Order: sequence, then structure tokens, then C-alpha cells
Amino acid sequence: MNYTKEIREIATRLLENEQVDMVMAWEKGDLEYQTVPFIARTVDEVSRIVCDEYSIHNLSNSLLRFRDGQEKIAIVVKGCDSRGVVRLLEDNQFPRERLYIIGVACPGVKDPLLAMKQNSGFEKVQDQDEGLASKCRYCLQPNPVIYDELVGEEQPLAELQERFARIEEIEQMSADERYQFFEDMISTCIRCYACRQVCVACNCRTCIFDETRPQWVGRETKIGDNMMYHLIRASHMAGRCVECGECERVCPVNIPLMLINRKLIKDVNGFFGPYEAGMEYVEGRKPPLSVYKENDPDDFL
Amino acid sequence: MHDCSCEKPLVPGIVEVIDIIDETPDIKNFYVRSENGVPFDVMPGQLAMVSLLPVGEGMFSVSWQEENDHLEFAIKRTGLMTDELHRIEVGQKLGVRGPYGNGFPVEECKGKDMLFIAGGIGLAPLRSFIKYCFKHREDYGKITILYGSRSSADLCFKDELFEKWPQEKDTEVYVTIDNPEEGWDGHVGFVPAYLEELNPSPEGTIAVICGPPIMIKFALQSLEKMGYSDEQVITTLEMRMKCGIGKCGRCNIGSEYICLDGPVFNLAQLRQLPPEW
Amino acid sequence: MKVLKTGKIEQVLDRLAQQADVYAPMLRGQQSGFFSWRSYDEDYDDLMFDILNVYQPPKDIVLPQTEKMYSIHQDGQDVTIEPIVAEVEPKIIMGVRSCDVRGIDYLDEVFLTKGYVDDAYKARRDKLTIIASACYNPGTNCFCDSMGVSPTDPESADVIMREVTGGYVWDVKTEKGEAVTKQIEDLLEEQEVELFPLKSFLRKVDYSGVAEKLKDMFEDPMWEKYSEPCQTCGICTYLCPTCYCFDIQVKNWGDEGYRFRCWDSCMYREYTQMAGGHNPREAATERFRNRFLHKLQFFPERYGRPLCTGCGRCIVTCPAGVNIIKIIDTVKEAETGA
Repeated sequence: MNYTKEIREIATRLLENEQVDMVMAWEKGDLEYQTVPFIARTVDEVSRIVCDEYSIHNLSNSLLRFRDGQEKIAIVVKGCDSRGVVRLLEDNQFPRERLYIIGVACPGVKDPLLAMKQNSGFEKVQDQDEGLASKCRYCLQPNPVIYDELVGEEQPLAELQERFARIEEIEQMSADERYQFFEDMISTCIRCYACRQVCVACNCRTCIFDETRPQWVGRETKIGDNMMYHLIRASHMAGRCVECGECERVCPVNIPLMLINRKLIKDVNGFFGPYEAGMEYVEGRKPPLSVYKENDPDDFL
Repeated sequence: MHDCSCEKPLVPGIVEVIDIIDETPDIKNFYVRSENGVPFDVMPGQLAMVSLLPVGEGMFSVSWQEENDHLEFAIKRTGLMTDELHRIEVGQKLGVRGPYGNGFPVEECKGKDMLFIAGGIGLAPLRSFIKYCFKHREDYGKITILYGSRSSADLCFKDELFEKWPQEKDTEVYVTIDNPEEGWDGHVGFVPAYLEELNPSPEGTIAVICGPPIMIKFALQSLEKMGYSDEQVITTLEMRMKCGIGKCGRCNIGSEYICLDGPVFNLAQLRQLPPEW
Repeated sequence: MKVLKTGKIEQVLDRLAQQADVYAPMLRGQQSGFFSWRSYDEDYDDLMFDILNVYQPPKDIVLPQTEKMYSIHQDGQDVTIEPIVAEVEPKIIMGVRSCDVRGIDYLDEVFLTKGYVDDAYKARRDKLTIIASACYNPGTNCFCDSMGVSPTDPESADVIMREVTGGYVWDVKTEKGEAVTKQIEDLLEEQEVELFPLKSFLRKVDYSGVAEKLKDMFEDPMWEKYSEPCQTCGICTYLCPTCYCFDIQVKNWGDEGYRFRCWDSCMYREYTQMAGGHNPREAATERFRNRFLHKLQFFPERYGRPLCTGCGRCIVTCPAGVNIIKIIDTVKEAETGA
């Protein structure tokens, strides 16, 4: 994928016409495989913009930093990122009018973090072409679901990994085995909150984990507090995760967080579906667990 | 500088609350005593970590040490821990560790006229210095105290302010509230404006100031206008603190730790620091 | 020269583990760090002496991420506390790179100097033996030599293992090193071998004068620019071998509880959030700036050396591509101060 030329042209036009105050895109980092978030505010800065095979970072989360402002923002989104924008719109975190959405049809991207790691000397397997990012192998929507302008030819769905195969395996475990599985998985968490920070669905102004009056979750990195962190986060993700995979991608201790998210996706779909979060934006529509109705079943109470 | 002779500086000693004075609707003065009287000796302006076990710990300025008897902490209700603290009764055991920080330069100020300027709870740290001056009255020149708060109900240490301190030798106490109110025949207006009105001479004077950031900001401008040099103006800073010994990291302003190198700085020192204070 | 053959590493670990808790670089499931040899499971774990470094530095061995300080018992208005003194058994960290050894040196300075000795830290440190692994082949993001660290001669190591063909030269440096060597003497072989030359660094930074220059760069636009992509997560601080900031918190259930300290991150808003609501470093840029100034200016002003060992972990793992080298370069190249 290389839409750098197209995106620069659009960005120049939008900034020149003063249609937007800034363009959220990516720029090259220090190494050839590094592509990092970048905001161009002037036409001069447009030449730094790139949109290449390493443009994996979901920028929709960066909109949150501007939610209290007035700026008009152009944002470049791939299919998965566009679902993040829908997340923000549905959650009333950003008004559609302030956005100019530049969609790019995405054939799948590579993960600069993975490339960085394989090139760093910190991994046993080194300098391999890492291929498509693991999140792209589960991609349901390579094409933006919401945009004002589309770049590139619509992409066909890639051949998918069995989306719920691992989930079904885990469901087959006994309760004890499953508990042990999750305990092993979660006990390694160092609570750096990177998964929360990159998550577009984590858009609360004050996160429950930062709340101190009262403090809901302890700060100890032991299984109890770690479980609380991940369980609460998971329950907040139910029906809201847009499966962009950023949490799992950035985790410095490689916790397979998408296992939790996919289980939730599967269950929400089973209970309330067919439902896929953030697949289209319909004004006023909310995710299944974000609304309350008088006739909601409550036989579990 | 904190001389750490204690074996476990992060573990508090136990004290008992022997009296609680309601100063204002949201400020209480807690008198605490350990088995031996005071848990440790404190110089005016120094800090101590007070813990309501098992709720939390907070760093407070010691507002007075009654020698060999007790420490006083005037504490405003602002958060979880102070909310809980305001609910306790006499007899409650608390943890306390310290003292931390440099304290006011009581030696360097000897022979000077002292001008104390405080707003709201800002009088709490200054009170330790004010009372110290009275205790060593011959060491200091004229003492002027200017204190203001939002309303008359929000004035703390009223007994001292209106009764005791004005009786002290060569001492003037000026009190103001932000807005007029029925039954108040004292001064009305903000502290910085009143300060300019009073216009105390900078000659041979040290100004010590503490209060809400906005008051400090304007009072500093007033002092400058009145001819006070940066070396003549002292203040005490506040930051979030956890350890008290310059290790946990958070209370730095530049490379100075407020818990260790502060909390008391003169304005000349502060101007060397990044503007995060 | 004493040489440890690669094939005998596991025997050495077994032997040392009889008298100490031995930590070695491993890939454990998805995690890479220093783990106790006692917990080694050959189906699950992979020893990693042969790679450049592991993601998690050995910091938590001397400064546990969470550490209980004292227990609290409340009975009506009465309260008692009891210091929790964990029993410290001797520990050995084997295969530590120079950058991480230097990281421990800096923790020593923080927790053992300037008028304060942290008992719990000291107890662990006194019983710690460091068997370092000299580095002859710096990685893509390594710049330890630029930060004053010798990759081949970590100063405070007790033993230095020097990789050679088929094994490691066992280079004893201290009494503690002698002591552990005695336990494994029979597993070492006397042999003349040739050491590898140190390959040149791919990354070079010039830190000289940076601390001084930074004094005038507090308001520099670079902070805004470089912090823009920062997600303010804690990866860089938690994976840093030198970041030592901690929080003190309490856990309680009814009248029982304990106070503990735990790692904290200056990237978190709560770090400087005051009870009354004011936060002197509310904005991400301010927190970002403080982190780098602490490393490159404030710590050097207080302790004489920068709080960075050039290990490159923050560069490798930052999701937003924040790069401390670039910050040092920018300061270096800045014409004057602000």
C-alpha cells in the first residue's frame, strides 16, 4: 500500500482551502519500517505525510485529544480505523461535522513494532519479512465504512483466519482449566495501560482505573488487581470493541488481548446479534449494551 | 535538609488525636501527641506525612509544635483522605512520619521586620513561623500579618487573629474578606489590593507568603511594585508527594524536590526553576 | 582463562540454584525477561543467553514492582502497624548486559545514597550477585557507549561472561564473584581462547553538554513536537532499567490492611494530581518533557550521570515511535538555548 502521493494532494487541498485545521496521518520514523502518527497543520508540513504499508497505527484514538476543541480535523482511516471513528461518533465523543474523513482502501499493513522487535536483537527470530500484521489476518473490513473521500480501489476481503477457532477451544476447557489459562495470561501484565491508551473505545474522560475517590482497582501487579483491571476493561468493551487489534499489538509483554475481545464479540453477537460493532454509522444508533430498555430480559437477577 | 536518622523513614509512628478544633466549615486543626509528647521536632514550615490508617496518607505542613506536648495540623477537606480525616473524633490514632523539607529560614530572618501574607488555608504553614517569631520576639522586628479569605466564616485561627496576635508587641494584624457581608465591619477586598493599600515598606523586611495560586500571583506583582526584591520574598510550595525524602520522583520542579529542597523557597530561587510552580 | 562451555550452562544454573535464587534471561510463553531458574519449565521456557537482551530488565529483582511495607490493624480508634520485612534470600542474576548492570548502579544511587538508605532495597542488593554478559555485538537501537557504559566491561558486575566460540570466558571480578565461582569451579575448563572484537555501534549519540543546554530549553517547541504522538502509556517507564519512581498506596478490607509501594509512571496523569484538583503537569507534553528532562538534565544535576543506559528498550517498544536518541540529537543540534 502506498497512498502517500494521494494523501498529500488531498491534505494540501484541504489545508490550502482552509477546509480543515489539521490533517491526521502518519510520517516516517527513524527507520525504514517505522511509520508513526503525525499531524500536519500547515501546507509546509504536508510533505512529511506518508501513507504506506507500515501505516498501521489507528489514528482515531488521537481525535480524543481534540474533543473539547473547535478545530476541523481531517483524518486518514483504513477500514479498521474507520470503525474506530464510528465508535467515537456513536459514543458522542466527536461531532461528525468537525471531521473530514479520508478513507483508504487497505490491502493489509505490516506492523512496525514487530519489524522493530525482529530487527532489534531482542527476538530469537530475526530479520524475517514479517508479512501482514496479525490483526490484518482477521480483518473483516478492509474498506472504510465511513468517509468523505476514498483513496484506492475497494479491496476484497482477505482470506480470513478462523476468527473464533481459538475461542471455541478455550470454551471447551473445564472451568478450572480456563481459570488457570486466564490467570497465566493476565498474571504477566505489568499494568502499563498501553492497551487502554491506544484503544479508541477507551474514551472515558476519567478512566475508572484512574479514579481515586474511591479507588476501584488496586495498583498492585498481582493476580487479583490484574484480573480486576482486565475484567473491567473487558466488560466495558463488550459490544464496543471494533476489533482494530491495537491493544494486542502494542502490549509490551505480548498478552493475547484479542482473545478476550473476540470472546466478547462472539457472545454479543450470539445474544443480541447479528451484530458487528462500528460497521456503519447510523445517527442515534447505539451498541447493544449501551442502551437500556424496560423490557430487557432480567431473569438472571 | 532532612537528616534521616530514623530507621524506616517510610513507616510512620503512631500518635493520638488529643483535640480537634473546627476552624472553618472545611478546616479543622488536629492536635496530635505521641507517647513521649511530640513524635519528632519540627521547625516552622516543615512538613509531615499524616496517615489515617488504613485510608491514606497525605503530606501536610505542621502548623505548630507545642514544645514537648503536641503537633498541630490545620487540614482542609479537599479529597478522599481529608474527607475521612474530618470525620474522626478525639482519641483516634493516626500515623505520622517526618519531618520533611527545609522549613522557613528562621535564622536568616533574625533582626528583620516580618510581613506575613496569607490567604485561606495558606495561613496554616505561616502560623508556625508567626508563632515562632512571637516565641522569640526579641529576635525579630516589627511583625505585620495580612490575612484574607472568602468570607468571615472561612477565616481560620480567629482567636489568635483577633485576640492574641494583636496584643503582641509591635505587631499589626490586618484581616480582609473577599465580599461584604452582614455583621462584618472589617476590611473587604482581595489580599493583593489590600496589600498595596497598606503599602508596607520593603526596607529591612522579609515577606512570607502562602495562599491560593491566584492570590500568590497577584501579591507577588504587588510586592514587586512596592520595591521588594526577589530575595526578600519567601513562599512555600505544594506538590503531590508520596515519600518525603526525594526518592519517589513526583514532587520535582526542575531538579529540586519540594519535599527535600523545599517546600520553602525565596522568589530568586524560584525564578531559577522551570515555571511549574 | 576459565571457560564455561555452552552445553554446561544448565548445570551451572542448577548448581548455583542450590544456594541462591538464580535469574536468567528467558522467553517464557509470550514474555521475555529474567525469570527464576527454579520456575524453569523446559516445555514452556526458552533460555536466552544468546540474544542481545530481553524486553523486561532485571529491575524488579532489586526493586519489585509491588512491595508490602507494613500491615495495619485497626480496632476502634486504636491502630497498630507492623513493618513487613520479607525474608531475603541470596539472588544471582546471570546473563545481564552492561546497560542493565548500569541500571542497577543508578538504582543503588537512588536507594542507597544522599542521606538515605532504603532497608528493603539494601537487603536485596547486599545479597545479589551479578553475573554479567559482555556485549560484543550491539543491536540496532543500542547506544550504551554514548551514555558512558562500556558494553564489554560492566563496572559493578561480580563476574563477566564473555561469549566466545562454543562458550563463555568466565571473568571473575569481585569477592562475590569468587564465591559463586567456587560452587561451579569443576564445571569450568581452563582454556586459551580468543575474544571477539567489539563491533561498532550502529547508533551514535553525543550526550556531552546536553544536560547544560537543556537548562535553557524548557520552553523549546521540540517538546510539543515530539510528544504529539505519545500515547502516555507506561511502556517506556516500566521497561526502562533505570526508571525508579514509585507510589505508596494502601489496601484494606475493613479494619485490616497493608501499605505497599509500587512502580509508578510519570506518564500517568495521576502521578502529580493533587487532592484539590490542581495538576502541575496536566498536559501530556508536560509529562513527556518532565520524563526526558529527568533523565537527561535533572538526574545528572543531582547524581552526576544521565538516567539512561542506552539499552534501547523504549525505542524498540514505543507504539508511537518516540525516540530518546532523536531528543538528544535535537538538543545537541540546537543553536543556543530557548
